[in-house]
Parts: sequence; C-alpha cells; structure tokens
Amino acid sequence: MTQNYFETFKLPTQFDIDLNALYCAYRLIQKTVHPDRFVSASQSEKTQSLMKSTEVNNAFQTLKQPLKRAEYLIKLNTKKETVTTSSDFLMKQMEWEEHLESITNKKIALNDFEKLIDVKYQDHLKRLTKMIDKDRDWSNAQSILNKLKFINKLKNKINQHINVLEDR
Amino acid sequence: MTLLQISEPGKSTLPHERRRAIGIDLGTTNSLVASVINGTTSIIEQKNGSHLLPSVVHYGANKLIVGAQAKEIQTTDPENTVSSVKRLMGRSLIDLDAKQLPLKLKDCGEYIGIHTQQGLKNPVEVSSEILSQLKSIAEARLGDEIMGAVITVPAYFDDAQRQATKDAAKLAGINVLRLINEPTAAAVAYGLDQNPEGNYVIFDLGGGTFDISILRLSEGLFEVLATHGDAHLGGDDFDQAIVKWLCKNHNINTTDLVVKQTLISLAQKIKETLTTETEIHINETINSSIHIKTYLNQSLFENITKGLIQTTLISTQQALRDAKLSISDIQGVIMVGGSTRMPCVQKAVEAFFKQPLFNKLNPDEVVALGAAQQAHILSGNSSNNLLLLDVIPLSLGIETMGDIIERIIPRNSTIPIAKAQEFTTYKDGQSAMIIHVVQGERELVKDCRSLAKFTLKGIPPMVAGAAKIRVTFQVDADGLLSVSAKELSTGIASSIEVKPSYGLSDETIKTMLEASINLAEEDKESRALAEVKIEAQQLCELVDEALKKDHHLLDKKEILIIQKDLKELKEATRTSDRFLIQQLNEKLNQDSQSFAAKRMDQSIQKALTGKTINSLKL
Repeated sequence: MTQNYFETFKLPTQFDIDLNALYCAYRLIQKTVHPDRFVSASQSEKTQSLMKSTEVNNAFQTLKQPLKRAEYLIKLNTKKETVTTSSDFLMKQMEWEEHLESITNKKIALNDFEKLIDVKYQDHLKRLTKMIDKDRDWSNAQSILNKLKFINKLKNKINQHINVLEDR
Repeated sequence: MTLLQISEPGKSTLPHERRRAIGIDLGTTNSLVASVINGTTSIIEQKNGSHLLPSVVHYGANKLIVGAQAKEIQTTDPENTVSSVKRLMGRSLIDLDAKQLPLKLKDCGEYIGIHTQQGLKNPVEVSSEILSQLKSIAEARLGDEIMGAVITVPAYFDDAQRQATKDAAKLAGINVLRLINEPTAAAVAYGLDQNPEGNYVIFDLGGGTFDISILRLSEGLFEVLATHGDAHLGGDDFDQAIVKWLCKNHNINTTDLVVKQTLISLAQKIKETLTTETEIHINETINSSIHIKTYLNQSLFENITKGLIQTTLISTQQALRDAKLSISDIQGVIMVGGSTRMPCVQKAVEAFFKQPLFNKLNPDEVVALGAAQQAHILSGNSSNNLLLLDVIPLSLGIETMGDIIERIIPRNSTIPIAKAQEFTTYKDGQSAMIIHVVQGERELVKDCRSLAKFTLKGIPPMVAGAAKIRVTFQVDADGLLSVSAKELSTGIASSIEVKPSYGLSDETIKTMLEASINLAEEDKESRALAEVKIEAQQLCELVDEALKKDHHLLDKKEILIIQKDLKELKEATRTSDRFLIQQLNEKLNQDSQSFAAKRMDQSIQKALTGKTINSLKL
C-alpha cells in the first residue's frame, strides 16, 4: 500500500492544509514508529522503524513548507513540464536584485524592502492556493511556484543582510 | 554488538526482565555515570564518594590509572598522562592547535597518535579506558549486569566525532542504546522534573565544547529546533586565555611541558577562585627562573575572556535565527556545564536573554542525569512515553566538479533522515566511481570537514551517462551516516568501500576489540556461540509474541513461512553450529520484514484514530 505524504497524515491531498493537524499527526506517528521505541526489538522491526521514521520525517518536512508542498503536489499531478518564466518577471527580478545591491548597508531601507517582498510573497501564495486547489491548473501553478521560489530566495538574502548589520 | 549482555551461556536476559541501563556523560574534563534506581535518578558515586571522574588517563610504566589519581600524576608526568582527549576524538593533527596540549602527539593521518611509555595510543583507546572505568563504577553499585548505556555527545559533534565515541564504547564493551546530544539530555533532566511547555534554550559551556540548542517541549515530545556551537570552545580556552595573559605580563616563553602544565593548573585555580571570590592575589614560584606575582579581579578577567563569551553569543543568535524565534519567544534558559558557573558567563547570558536563568540542577551533573533518564526510557523500564526528536547539527554534502559542495541533508533536519541522489558515469564502460562526503556549512570542499570517500564498485558496463546509480545517504537516530548504492537500470546493488577520512576503520576496531578481550581461540568461539544463541532466543521470543498478537495481519502462507523459520531456528539453537544459527537468524529476520512493516502500519493507524481528540487539545 503506497500512500502519498498527505494520506500518511490522514490529510486531504490539497495545498490548503491544517498545519496543526499535520503537526499533531506527525507527533503521534513519530511516537509510534521512532527507533527509540524499538531499542530491544528484533532486527526486522528495527529496520522497519528506521525506514518509517525516516519517511515520516521526510513527509513532514515536505508538507510543512508551502513551497515544497506545492512542488510535491504538482509532481503528484503532472509529468514534468517545462515552464518558461515570463520576460516581465525576469525584468522584475533584475530590478529587485539591483535595488537590494544598492541598500545592503541601510537598515531601514532593508526592512522596508523586506516588507514589500513579503507582501509579494503572500500575494503569490494566495494565487498558488487557488491554482492548485480550485483551478487545478498545474502549468500556471508551476509558473507561480517558480516565481515564489525566487521571491523566497530574495527574502532570505534580505534577511541575511539585516542579520549582518545586527551582528555588527 | 551485544558483548556486554553476555555473562555465561544459559544465563540470558529475557526481554521482559528488568534490565539496568545507565547514562554516561563523557566529558572533556570530567565524566559521570548515572542511573535510575528505585525510581530516583542519581549519579553513581565512586568508592571514594565523589561524583566526578576526571577524564584523565595515566599510562604508567606498568599500570594504568584513570581518574583523580591520574590527574594528580599529571603535573609531574604530563607526557604519559592524557587529559582532554575528547578534543582529539575524530580529529587529525592539522585540525587543532596541538601546541596547547602538553603531550607528544603523532600525525597518523586519519587520527592522532599519542606517545606514552605504554606505546602509541589513539583517542578512541584513551576514551574507552574512561568508559570502562565508568562501567565498573556502575557495576559495583548496581550489582547487576548492565544491558546498555546512553552516552552523551556535544550537539555540535560531527559524524567522525560521534563515530569515534561509539567506537570507544564498543571497545569498552558497552552496548550503546543511543548517542544523545548533551543539551538535549539536560533538557530531559529539567523537563521530566517540571514538565513546562514552550521553547527553551540550553546554553552548554563545558570543559572543551560549547553547544547551544533550542528545544520545543510539548505533550511528551522534546523537539530540537536548532543547534549551534563550537566543538572547540570551553573552560580549557578560558584557562588558556589566563595562561596567555600570565605569559605576556611576565615575559614567559617556554616549551617545557612541566612548566606549561603548571601554568595551566595555576590558571584553573585562578578561574575557580574567581567563580566564588571577586579578586585573587597570585604569588607563585613556577620553577627556579619563573616567579609570578600578580593580581586579578572580575572585571580584568571579563576583559581577558571577552572574545570567548562574544563567540558564544554569536552562536546563540545564529541558533535563534535557525529556529525562527526571537528572544521574546523563549520561556527559559537552562545553564549546563561547569564553565557556566563563571559569573562573567552568567551575567552575559542573562543580559542577552533578558531573563533569569535556570540553574537549579548542578550544571556538572545535569547531562548525566538526563542521559540516565533517557536510558531508563529506552530500555523499556519506564512508563513515561517521552520522545526525543533530535536534529543533525551540520549539513551533509558531496563534492561535485570544481571543489563545490552539493548539499544533500541540510543542518537542523530532524533525524532519522535519508536522501537519495542519482549519479551517472562519464566514461564508456566505467565500473567504479568515487563519492566524497563532507560535512559543514561552507561552500567549498576545503573549508568543510571531509567525512569519507566512498568507492562504488561493480557498476555494470554501459555507455557513458547510461548508468543511473542511486546513492542513499541515511542518518540514523544516533546521528550517524551510512551510505548505500544501487544501479537503477539493472537493479544491481553496487558494493561500497568506505574509507573514513578521520577515525579508525572497522578492521582496526575489530582488531583492537579482539586484543582487548584477550581470550584463547576456543574461548572466543564459545563466547561467539553463546552470543548468537542468545540473539536467536531473543528473536524467537519476539517473533512468537508478535505472531500471537498480530497473526491476523498475515495470510496462511505467510504464517507458515515464519513458523517454519521459527521451528528451524529453535532446533538449531540446541546445536553448536554457530554459522547455521546465524544463517537462520538472518532468514527469520528477512522473512519477518513485511510482517514488521504491517505491524508498524497497524500501530500508526491505531495512533491516528485517537487523533481528533488530540488535535482539539492543541
């Protein structure tokens, strides 16, 4: 019986999931299958425990993070499609990168930029939810996901610069 | 490895009998052993009544001394007395500033050799002497045989250092139930005691290592969110800072081992005095030409050690970021390790977190106490169903073209974890390839720690790029890495030859182990036979019980297969055919694999049925 990650946690196979329920199911399963529970068990049970516990950790990590969850869902529903990024977005990317370069030493500007990018992030995430759960439009979902990945990386970069300033 | 469990044939420990498990804190400066006795967790005292066993081993002309007595000898015979060996575990000579240590070291490539009058010793052997001593201390007090131990390691220990620790235990004849991280053990000691829910920081500054861990405690689950630290920062460095200061102010420039050791002892005295007093006047004669007369107070000491404390706070900040938490999310800060007694450390940490610190439990003992509680749970003696979910402290990656690292398992991933990666050949008919595994956060191979080189052999001959080899990297619950490989198009499992970059090879360990047991050939054979017999008996018992309980999960044919295996194995245990027993053991294990999987799925379904009730609780 092969289950997808959602089924492992008895969750509906969709993007919009109850994170509390996910976390709760994760804890219950780990408490059952973790190798710590099988210290005195037979070799075959130890092996199964290690495999299951590993699988549940992988599943939890994938579903916990929205971008990984989206990627997993798209993969479940499509054969690999190549999606080209629109030239508009490419322009936007360059513009953002340049802006970041110009403000790496300015804390207030960095904070403002972080807020702006976060709004973009939330906005794209909403669109992604609709594409996956409502429209089931996988090709558009993939295209939004690619943008989100870029936005997420940019967010991390901004945060790194903020951290460097804070550590000084 | 079940060496420890075996006393003599016929006296087997049955799975349901109460079995003693111990917790060991194998420290840089001191080691401790603890156990849960009649429901109370306590440190097991040595004959002389003391709790701490100095982690010092003296190799005398014809005897071996471990502990306090060895520490005393150290000032007069530093060359044959090994202390702080934890710093050498899983390391090579180029990794450390060996000039600091008053020892004659030898570069043995994969590990560090220590010249003593009893010959060349390696760090694993030295550690195993300390562990043996702890085991005897426990046996003397508990009377019983000890079924196993939980041994603590710094959270920031890499794979090579963890492996070295496990090897040392093996060599000491200790069955390792689990390696757990020191800060996590400390949290167990506090958590079981008061059971507070929320996010906690464990600030662990020991003799030679610094760890910072952030844990979430909720509903019987201890989850490590992030860990950071420095495997080479501890009380020793504070001593060194004082020595440096003394040398600078008194123009001392020496290579003499005895002088060096005397200065270190003086520095330790100064540090300890300043833990309880506000100032110290020093007036000491080191040798005929060196005399030290000086004065030190808290603020001077703070100045000397400022850089060290700053380093710990930067690590703390990084761990908070990794856990995606800020200072206001932290419900408590637990102080662990003897070095946190220093007022300057307490002051700095309190100021950083803007809250009073948890230091009710003795910082020297809290790790061992937690380890003992965890050992008690793992050995199945406790009704407490607490579960620890720990993480891998440093990212694992492999070397790709141009000295660049491809990250495979990121740091702070919950363990156990596995990732698979596919590789292909670049030459026609290529039958082997080398995979270089590294650990660390930097981008380039040379800046990370080389863990091992794996040679994949037996790749079926194909044109370049046609072979698809899937390599799986598995990190187990001890935080130890293992690697397996399979060629996908043919399904052939490639064999793997591991050459660890650091530490001892399996072969060396085996030889050392055999030498240490020191038995005649026939004794070895009867010991090995007794070992497999007990293993077989335990397996039969476990499978019998599983069948009785869950036979409904199998169809008739499957039941018959397992029953037949059982019968054959039971019959074999009445013979002295070790290889047959071993073979049938493996067969039963193999044939009951899918039964085990079904039982696992059943228990998951059972656990999840109660789920709705539990999710309401959140």
